[in-house]
Amino acid sequence: MLRSAGVAVALPFLEALAPAEGKRVRLVCIEMVHGSAGSSAIGIKKNLWAPAGAGRDFDLSPTSLASLEPFRDDLTIVSNTDCANAEPFEAGEIGGDHFRSSAVFLTQAHPKRTAGADVEAGSSVDQLVAARLGRQTPIPSMQLCIENVDQAGGCGFGYSCVYTDTISWASPTRPLPMVRDPRVVFDMIFGVLRPDITAADRRRRLADDRSILDGVLASAARLRARVGVADRRRLDEYFETVRDVEGRLQRVEAYSRSGEARELPAAPAGVPDSFSAHVELMFDLMHLAFVTDVTRVFSFKLGRDNSNRVYPESGFGGAFHPTSHHSGKEAKILDFAKLNRFHVGVVPYFLEKLKSTPDADATMLDNTLVMYGSAMGDSNQHNHKRVPFFMAGHAGGRIPGGVHLKAANGTPLANVMLSVLHAFGLDDVQEFGDSEAPFTL
Amino acid sequence: MKTLLAALAAAVLAAEPTVTGTWNMGLQGDHVIPTALVLKQDGRTVTGTIAMPTQNGQRIEVKLSGEFVDGAITLSGEVENAKVPSTLEMKGTLKDDGTLEGTLKSHHGTMGWTAERLKTRK
Repeated sequence: MLRSAGVAVALPFLEALAPAEGKRVRLVCIEMVHGSAGSSAIGIKKNLWAPAGAGRDFDLSPTSLASLEPFRDDLTIVSNTDCANAEPFEAGEIGGDHFRSSAVFLTQAHPKRTAGADVEAGSSVDQLVAARLGRQTPIPSMQLCIENVDQAGGCGFGYSCVYTDTISWASPTRPLPMVRDPRVVFDMIFGVLRPDITAADRRRRLADDRSILDGVLASAARLRARVGVADRRRLDEYFETVRDVEGRLQRVEAYSRSGEARELPAAPAGVPDSFSAHVELMFDLMHLAFVTDVTRVFSFKLGRDNSNRVYPESGFGGAFHPTSHHSGKEAKILDFAKLNRFHVGVVPYFLEKLKSTPDADATMLDNTLVMYGSAMGDSNQHNHKRVPFFMAGHAGGRIPGGVHLKAANGTPLANVMLSVLHAFGLDDVQEFGDSEAPFTL
Repeated sequence: MKTLLAALAAAVLAAEPTVTGTWNMGLQGDHVIPTALVLKQDGRTVTGTIAMPTQNGQRIEVKLSGEFVDGAITLSGEVENAKVPSTLEMKGTLKDDGTLEGTLKSHHGTMGWTAERLKTRK
């Protein structure tokens, strides 16, 4: 750790400073709401989400996963699973699918219908893993999001907005807030939210528009002189990346405060108008957090149920929520597939970063598991069957990858989550949500 | 013999399909709107409620009454406390897979619907 007044910059792994340690396994859980076009009857026939072939010989080209082709050997696509606990079990719950779904994705538990503070779902996969891995890092886990998630009270059908706002639950009654502002994430990773660093320190640094690295230049130079060639290269690359991320963040903040029109006027200054730019900043920050071992567990919520956001970068101009309600008509389903393809298309940016980062005797992608999915299936039907789901990475060699696994009808996604927990060493967990048995990955 | 016949008759009646229960109904509008349909059958007579969606996202509970005969259900009810009071008329059939399918007529026009029984929690 390099320290100066007002900042503390974590360092990447350096051979000179620490003996080689075992694998650091990491988990990233990404949710994109509203299921997929490929979960509809027409979408299944056209393989808009899951490939036609199961096993190792699968063709991604017609699917929304086509952008993942460079990572096919790292992929584990699990199709045809259900999230039954997102279904209604009482008359009053019928119609509340949008307000339950996010709470189910990582917990696989049925949320209690309440608009009050007595919310209840289940402990989420990321938090169970964080409880195990988080003891080894300064921050046990971090929760990030892209959309506005600070609504209070009830969101609809008697459900608290909390259920829509987060996918991470530290316990069945403790939902965790998600951070939308990349600046906050940056400051968490680089220690400037330490209790001994005052708000005045932080304001001064932001007002000066200085780099967080400026304050540690001298100590960084001293360290650089002490380490070998390989470590020096690591340090140079790391500082370059930090500067790049920080510079992008500062440019976004400068634009937001310039008085120019913003597409997201209510968003914090650190949030770019562009969905892709926002997601890439968050991925860069996750990568930096992994490099510095500040945390090993992230959850990342890409969307919010009922959002009418438009994604011009997708090449399709329709709003998200109405597009997902495609009436079962082929042309509209194909439009929704364009949005699915666009959303999945942001993931390779992160996978490439992980894959190109050496990590112990492998790559960071070998030691990480990135899961992506939704607890909703066909959003036109508001059902939770045949939900979209894939994973990338190998969790330290526990998940072989390079395969499309088509589950038997009615298989709970919770079975897959249970196996993920086992892959992260939580072999003592016997059941999770509505799991019936571990799913062989 | 009378006892045997009575038992047989009871068994036949018990095997008769019934629509009693809570149904997760999908109203086929621009998209499928999940709607709660709660029914109680007594002989041929059926009573119940439907939580009709409104334009402002709220639900209005409408009381229904009608009958279920030979696999076909007919129900009607008055929409009260709405901007435009109107009558709902529902028709449907119970299919072999245990789901209901039919049409609902209101002042908005006629919509298709399907319904399946609420699942029980595992």
